[in-house]
Amino acid sequence: MLARRALLRALAASVAAAALGCGRRERPVRRDGRVVVTFWYAYGDLVRKVLLELVARFNASQSRVLVEAVHQGDYFECLAKLRTAIAAGAAPTLSHVVCEVVPYLARARVLEALDGYDGAGEIPFVPALSQQGAFRGAEREPTFCIPFNRSTPIAFASGRLLDEARVAPPRTWDELLDAARRLTRRGEGGEVRWGFEVPISWWYWVAMVGQAGGALVAPDGALTLGGEAGERALRFWQRLVRDERVMRPPPGRDYQAWQSSNESFLQGRIAMMWSSTAFVRYLEDNARFPVVAAPLPRDVRASVPTGGTMFVLLRGAPDEEKRAAWEFVRWMCDDEQTIAWSTRTGYLPVTRPAVDKLDARGWYAAHPNDRVAYDQLASVDPWPWVPELFRVERDVVEPRLEDAVLTGRDAHAILDEARAEAARPA
Amino acid sequence: MNPRARWHPWAMLGPTLGLLVVFFLVPIGVAGAGSLFSWDLLTPPRFVGGANYAALAAHGELLRVALRTLGYSALVVTGTMTLGLGLALLLDRPGRFFAFVRASVFSAYVVSWVAVALLWMWMLDGNAGVVGQLLRALGAPPVALLGDPDAALPALALVGVWKLTGYAMIVFLAGLQDVPPSLLEAAALDGAGAVARFRYVTLPLLAPTAAFVATTSLVTSFQAFDVVRIMTQGGPARATELFVYAIYEQIFLNLSVGRASALTVVFFVLLLAVAGLQLRVFRTRRGER
Repeated sequence: MLARRALLRALAASVAAAALGCGRRERPVRRDGRVVVTFWYAYGDLVRKVLLELVARFNASQSRVLVEAVHQGDYFECLAKLRTAIAAGAAPTLSHVVCEVVPYLARARVLEALDGYDGAGEIPFVPALSQQGAFRGAEREPTFCIPFNRSTPIAFASGRLLDEARVAPPRTWDELLDAARRLTRRGEGGEVRWGFEVPISWWYWVAMVGQAGGALVAPDGALTLGGEAGERALRFWQRLVRDERVMRPPPGRDYQAWQSSNESFLQGRIAMMWSSTAFVRYLEDNARFPVVAAPLPRDVRASVPTGGTMFVLLRGAPDEEKRAAWEFVRWMCDDEQTIAWSTRTGYLPVTRPAVDKLDARGWYAAHPNDRVAYDQLASVDPWPWVPELFRVERDVVEPRLEDAVLTGRDAHAILDEARAEAARPA
Repeated sequence: MNPRARWHPWAMLGPTLGLLVVFFLVPIGVAGAGSLFSWDLLTPPRFVGGANYAALAAHGELLRVALRTLGYSALVVTGTMTLGLGLALLLDRPGRFFAFVRASVFSAYVVSWVAVALLWMWMLDGNAGVVGQLLRALGAPPVALLGDPDAALPALALVGVWKLTGYAMIVFLAGLQDVPPSLLEAAALDGAGAVARFRYVTLPLLAPTAAFVATTSLVTSFQAFDVVRIMTQGGPARATELFVYAIYEQIFLNLSVGRASALTVVFFVLLLAVAGLQLRVFRTRRGER
C-alpha cells in the first residue's frame, strides 16, 4: 500500500516538477536593443482600445522597454491561461488579476514582491484601492499587486423611467423593492420591462452580505460566508425574483450576464440595474436616455467590495524584464495616465493627486456619475486576505447563488452546504 | 492470407497502438493518478486518496452531472435520428428543389459550433429572440429558455439536434440508396402498403446505418463543450453543466486539477459502460439475424 502510494506520489511529483521545474526563464527577450515586456490583459471593446493607446504611448515615450500587450479573453480566461502558463514555464512578465485571487497566487509564490522596486512605496494610491486598503489582514504581507483598473459595484437607473414613475434612486433595500415594483411593466403581449436587474453573482452577493451587516470571514479566520447576513442577502434576491417578480436574473454566467444586463438596460428593457463603475462611460455614451448612477442601497449599513484588477509581476520572469515591467507599471500610475485611463473608461482613478487634479479641472462637476462612484469608496469593505477565498468563490458559492435564487432552495440550507464545502480541503 | 513473419501484424498495428497508448492510455493513467492528489498546478501536489471522488459525490453532484450528460445525449441522439430519418425519407427525391432543401438542411452541420451557439443565443433570448416572439404570438407566456433551470438543458439539446440533423439526414440518405428497389417492388406486389414497406423492408435494412448515426451522435453529444461554454457556462444553477464542461471548470476556473482528474476518470468509466452496452446491443442484433 505504502509502495503504491509512494509510486503515485512520485508520479505526480514528476509531472509537477516537469511543469514547475523548468518554469524560470533566465534571459530577457530583447528586440532592437529594447527589453520586451509581455503583458497579458483581459479587456475588450473600449477599455482594450484605451489600454492599447496607452501602451503605444509608453513605447513611443522611451527606447529601453517595449511592452507587447496580448489579449487573453476575460478575467477568468486570462487567469486560467496565466496559471497554465506559469506551470508550463511560459508565463508573461506582467499581467493583471482580480483582487480575490492575489492571496492565493502570493501563497503559491508565483508573484514578485514589489517593495524593493524603485519608488514602490511612494505612489500615493487612493487608500481603499491599494493592496493595503483592498485587503484586511494583509498588513504584514509584502506588496504583490498595484491597483490598475479598479471599480466597485454601483446602481444605474434610466433617468427617463425614474422621472416617468416619479421614483427616486433607492437608498435602502426596502426602497429598492418599492421602486422595482413601480418600475416593472408587463405588456399585453407578455413582454416585460423589469424594474430591477443584477447578475446573480459573487461580487453583488458580497456587497449585500456587507450591507446586511455580515462578513465573509469571522475574526477567528473561519469562512462563515456572512452567516445570517449571507442568508438574508439570498432571501432578498429570492423575494425580488420569485415572490415579487420585479427582477430578472440575466442569462449566462460571469461577464456574459453583465453584458446581458448592460444591453437590456440600454434597450430600455430594465429600469434599474447594479453593475460596475467600469461601465459608467460605456453606458453614458450609448444610452438614449440620461443615465443616473447611485450608491448601492443599504440594509443595515452601506457596503461595497472593490473589484476590477491589480497589476502583478510574475516571479519567474528574468529580473531585467521585471524591472522593465515595473517601469511601465510606474508610468501607468503617473497622474496623466491615471487620469486618461479613468476618464476614458470609467474605472476609478487610483492615485490621490489624479483625483485632486480631476476635481480641480471640474471633471466631477461635469460628470456627477463619476463622483458617485468615487464617493462610494467611503463604504468599501476590504477583502479578507484568505488564499482559499478564490476557490470558495468559484467552486462553492457562485453556483449555489443561482441555485437558491432560481430554484427557490432554502437559503439557510444552501449556505450551510456551502460552509461545509468551504471548510473541506481543496 | 497468412503473415510471412509473426511480427508483421504487430508492425502493422504498431503506429496505431503507439498513438493509442501515447494519446489515450497514458493520459487516462495520468488522470487516474492525478485524481488521488490535491493539485492546483502552482503548488506541489498533496496525496488525498479518494477525497476528490468523495467531494464530487457529496450532495449528489457527480450523479447529477452524469445524469444530465446522459439526458442531454438521449435527447440529442433521439432527436437527431428521428428528424434525420424523417427528412431523409421526405427528401429522397430527384429534382433541384429537393437538392436545395437537402443542402440547406446539411449546411447547419458545416457551421462551427461557436457560430451556431451565438445564433441560437440570439434566437432564444427571452424578449428579443425569434423563439420568444413566436411563443408570445402563440399566446404562451414569455420565457427565457436559457435562464430557466428546467428549460435550459432541453434548449441546448435542441441546438445540438438542429446542428446534427443534417449529418444524420445525409447518412440516412446514403443508407436509403442501398435499399434495393426490387425488394420494395416485390413487397408492393405482395400487397404491402407504404407503411408496411417502410416497417418491414426499409427499416431493417437501415439498421446498420442507424447504428452508425447513433454512435457518432452519441460521441458528439458526450463531447458537448462549445455550446455550453458559449450559451450558458453550465448555468443556470448548474442545469447545463455537462461532463466535459465540468472538467474544464474544475481545472481552469476552480483551480482543482485533482477533481478534474477524478471527473475525467468517472467520465471514462461512463463512456466505457455506454460503449460496452452499445456493442452488446449490436452484437445481439447481429446474432439475431
